[in-house]
Amino acid sequence: MISSSVDIPVRHRRIVPRQGSFDHTLVPPCQDACPLHMEIREYVDLIAQGRVLEALQVIREGNPFPSICAYVCTHPCEEACRRGQVDNPIAIRALKRFAVEFGGDRMVRPEAETKYEEKVAIAGSGPAGLAAAYYLRKLGYPVTIFEAHSELGGMLRVGIPKYRLPREVVDTEVQRLTQMGVEIRANSPVISLDLLFQMGYKAVFVTVGAHQGLRLGIEGEDSPGVVDGATFLREVNLGLKPAIGERVAVVGGGNVAIDAARTALRLGASKVSILYRRSREEMPADPVEVEQAQEEGVEIQFLVAPTKVQQDTKNLTLTCIRMELGEPDRSGRRQPVPVQGSEFSVAIDTLITAIGQAPRVPEDFRLRIGRGSTIRVDPLTLTTNREAVFAGGDAVTGPATVTQALATGRQAALRIDDYLRHRYPAVSKPGRQTLTGDLQPKTIEMIRKHNRLEPPVLPPETRTKEFAAIELVYDWESAVREGRRCLRCGMGAEILFQDKCATCLTCLRVCPYHVPFVGEGGVIQIPADQCQACGVCVGECPAKAITLRKPRDRRQIDGELDHVIKAAGESKVKPLIVGFCCQYGLYGTGTLANLWRESKAGIWVVPVLCVGKLESEQILRAFGMGAEGVFIAGCGQEQCARENTAFWVQQRIAKVRKVLTQIGMEPQRLQAVNLSGGEDNPAAVLDRFTEQIGEFCLASAIKGEVRT
Amino acid sequence: MPKSLFEEKLNSGKFIVTTEVGPPKGSDVSELTHHIELLKNVVDAINVTDHQSSVMRFPSIGGCLLIKEHGGEPVLQMTTRDRNRLALQAELLLAHSRGIHNVLCLTGDSIDVGDHKEAKPVFDLDSVQLIRMIRTMESGKDMGGNELKGAVEFCIGASVHPAADFIEPQLIKFDKKVEAGAQFFQTQGIFDLNTLRRFMQYARQFDVKILAGIIVLASARMAKYMNDNVPGVIVSQEVIDELSRADKNKGLAKGIEIAAGMIRAIKEENLCHGVHIMAVGRESIVPEILEAAELAEVRT
Amino acid sequence: MIIAEQKPLEEIRRMIAPYERVLILGCGTCMTVCGAGGEREVSLLKAALQLAQARNGEQANSFTEYTVKRQCDLEFLDLLADRVQEVDAVLSLGCGIGVQTLVERFPDLPTFPGVNTSFMGAAKEWGVWDERCAACGECRLGDTGGICPITRCTKGILNGPCAGAKHGKCEASKEMDCAWILIYQQLERLGQLERMRRYYPPRNYQVIPRPHRLVIKADIEAGGGHA
Repeated sequence: MISSSVDIPVRHRRIVPRQGSFDHTLVPPCQDACPLHMEIREYVDLIAQGRVLEALQVIREGNPFPSICAYVCTHPCEEACRRGQVDNPIAIRALKRFAVEFGGDRMVRPEAETKYEEKVAIAGSGPAGLAAAYYLRKLGYPVTIFEAHSELGGMLRVGIPKYRLPREVVDTEVQRLTQMGVEIRANSPVISLDLLFQMGYKAVFVTVGAHQGLRLGIEGEDSPGVVDGATFLREVNLGLKPAIGERVAVVGGGNVAIDAARTALRLGASKVSILYRRSREEMPADPVEVEQAQEEGVEIQFLVAPTKVQQDTKNLTLTCIRMELGEPDRSGRRQPVPVQGSEFSVAIDTLITAIGQAPRVPEDFRLRIGRGSTIRVDPLTLTTNREAVFAGGDAVTGPATVTQALATGRQAALRIDDYLRHRYPAVSKPGRQTLTGDLQPKTIEMIRKHNRLEPPVLPPETRTKEFAAIELVYDWESAVREGRRCLRCGMGAEILFQDKCATCLTCLRVCPYHVPFVGEGGVIQIPADQCQACGVCVGECPAKAITLRKPRDRRQIDGELDHVIKAAGESKVKPLIVGFCCQYGLYGTGTLANLWRESKAGIWVVPVLCVGKLESEQILRAFGMGAEGVFIAGCGQEQCARENTAFWVQQRIAKVRKVLTQIGMEPQRLQAVNLSGGEDNPAAVLDRFTEQIGEFCLASAIKGEVRT
Repeated sequence: MPKSLFEEKLNSGKFIVTTEVGPPKGSDVSELTHHIELLKNVVDAINVTDHQSSVMRFPSIGGCLLIKEHGGEPVLQMTTRDRNRLALQAELLLAHSRGIHNVLCLTGDSIDVGDHKEAKPVFDLDSVQLIRMIRTMESGKDMGGNELKGAVEFCIGASVHPAADFIEPQLIKFDKKVEAGAQFFQTQGIFDLNTLRRFMQYARQFDVKILAGIIVLASARMAKYMNDNVPGVIVSQEVIDELSRADKNKGLAKGIEIAAGMIRAIKEENLCHGVHIMAVGRESIVPEILEAAELAEVRT
Repeated sequence: MIIAEQKPLEEIRRMIAPYERVLILGCGTCMTVCGAGGEREVSLLKAALQLAQARNGEQANSFTEYTVKRQCDLEFLDLLADRVQEVDAVLSLGCGIGVQTLVERFPDLPTFPGVNTSFMGAAKEWGVWDERCAACGECRLGDTGGICPITRCTKGILNGPCAGAKHGKCEASKEMDCAWILIYQQLERLGQLERMRRYYPPRNYQVIPRPHRLVIKADIEAGGGHA
């Protein structure tokens, strides 16, 4: 006998089990773009499965005030969404709104206990201040918010109009803070930071926002009838009804200008125009807002700038000059240049200037101020030049978004906590990689195209009559359908065990999206930025070398099967039937929920996240646990969000049926059923299947083959 | 010096008629003997098939010996399907020693079409290699290069398929067989004279004798069956149609009519050197065919 | 790649019936590629065998499963030394080579083949493999336009074609192309038809006697290699 010349010890072959808890998902671009780094992919997927409350839980874990973001977030996630490379981005903000409205108060826990003595003061109750208060309170600190106005919310209250953000939403969030134990002092402007320290606060977060409108710098700017946009909005939002007459002109191109114009309409102005000095492409306002404004009748004049305002007894005369685009300036946008001799005048009642806002920080604070009148801070720690004084929000960045402010508030809370606990801020560990890269054309070609479902909006005529919220919310089915469009970037398959890989090229050949390729040195690669997470290759790989990156996906089916095996073992109902049912289509649309009540007993459902992931061994395991019949209910070839899954289900069924036949069991004990379409109601389909299984069992019993 | 009576006849310029008898599946050779008696004087030579269509039967060498006993002129059909080079050479020694000097060298149908589908296919040689082997033996040596104590002499024939749908590879094979030493060819079934004409335009350049294969069909169904299942048989649609137009129970008569008509035409046009009639289990009708073709005569 | 197919379940059950503890051993190379005996097939077979036992009310066997990189090299089998102590038999899903190597390494362990090794071939597409090489030891692919007459011609003849092809398909099976027509077409495409006109003598079945052995190490004592 020949023996090997080296004594090789036996080792455990696998240090990492195939179903272990390692998370190899990549951070998707949506999450990366979000200032709060919310787990968007996760909650969108949960909505697609119809598990809206769990989605809400994920949302609330990442965002203290999701209801606010649900209305007014500028959704940088949608700009980054890679579905946009296929057709349109996922309507993430609308989905978040759906979840928030659906859940209502259910996932909220406004409780906190005080663990520390050190009191923290927050100057300003805008989103940054509110978020900082929330997180500091959760960490266990006594917190006091000082707000100069009578009402809280900062720009949320006085800046953003009610038709975009209903006031009840802001009130509810503020109320929750109070329930948590945050002390709120309205009508209490902070005049001096020294005073706060004398009062015993150990740290202060200055977040006074940017409310000071920038001046146009033209003649006649101080005439009555000229008002700055932020002031105008504040007055309206505080309940006043300024008299603006019939003809209103708004100067500016940002969201404040649009808000001001649309508010003017709602106050009764009949002719509202926006004058913007650049072109539509350069306009910083949200394109959807611009479109809605135009629908409502706001006229936008591009490449126009005011040069002079004159007042006479009846109205204002506004002189403007036309502009053309010249060379780009420092921001990269083309500089507008006046066209000589193109002046024209127009008569108006009110001129609203909305070209930007700056913070107004009291000198007494003795904080170092930088460009644009903003407070200078260290970007990592948010500290200012004064010890124990932190700053954030519009006061630091200049006018920015609500979500950015929330993120800053969270960051401030954590840094203040570090400071008070005498810790260095933890160096962020190298976390998961972020997914970059565009989808390749041959993959895009195979992705099923479904256009984005927009949430319904009030028609323009109704909108301008009042300040009610114009955007309505999804219904259940639309939300689920929109959620299913998500490509699940970064949570697909990977060849985890390259040593097991026999380079048989099966994954390459079966992938419907042409993702795996032969790389350098003949090593097969499944690029994370192309994989569509359908799971077909995972089930086909003969070496079991491929796993799904997400731990939940790896364990999902076996975990559910284990659970069913245990539960069914205790049940007496016969015959035992196991059904692998897709969560997306059937649960998502609520079909399956009805099923339990209607179909006859004995059916145990193993929910799967797309039947494409169901492996042959798992089907066989179901029989092994005593199931007399097994059915697989996917969404069907047309409905499934992934390509070709029905074909693979059939291949696996054929394989398992071959085994059943060899064992002497009827191959029809395993069937694919379509519960989500067709004329039959699902309960009837399953009843027929149950009957057939019953007949098989009877036949076996008569043949005496099955010994109990 | 002709190696056999048949070779002499081939070289005489006469219009040659050969036919074949199929041995029994068993040891009872009474019917075989009867056919031999019937045919020995009406044809120039009788082939005995070698496990035709890979169906196990009484061997060709046995049938040839019977023909010899009864005074006929046998052609030994030898396929390479079932025996290796030792067995093939041995059989040729036996044949020569018993006065059998005509051999038709064939590769043989594949095992899959026969009735012993699990048998081992031998194919140690193919038909071209077999022809060369015989020529080598004629020179006094066996394939291993060893001296033979007593050489052999054979008139060597082979088959060719003028009706093949890919004709060029068949012609290349035909060339190789001629070059290897084949003297005469019995073709696969001809159903359309144009096919034969085209082939003869090519084959005429060689100094070999071509005997056109004539298969007697008894019905359209038989024709279709052979098309689907019998290697080398491609019945044209015209013939199938003609057969289906025949009255019930008159199919065989029609088949005989068609066969006889073709034979007559070949003779009249002097298309080739003769015919090889394959009656496929109906050996007794061969005389009738020859009558109808006006070729009935005593051939000894 | 060596291609094999799993044996019918009944046959496997009969083979292992007398043994209580059975190790189902997969192979991570050829058998994985052709889907007959890789890690997935091992776990599928185990589940099938257990199901069959359960349906028949038997308690006969208990199964363990494992897959090695290859079963045809002893060093890979050394990894099993401890494992085989705990079983009564091995059901190998390796090809015939693997099964025999297993027996060489563990001669005291009853070893059974779970697959029928069939041919050497290549994948046409996912799930379809065609035989391509007969290991004749006298490769003549240069003369036949890269199409092997021994594997692809049902009679394996070297001076083809025979007369049996119809519509380009072999007499033995309507799905099989006539190899010699393919060879003709390929040689014509390359302008090398002259190769087909040559006479090819019979095969030398003694190129290497069976069981064949390939030796590449030089026998230095006998004068192989230079001083």
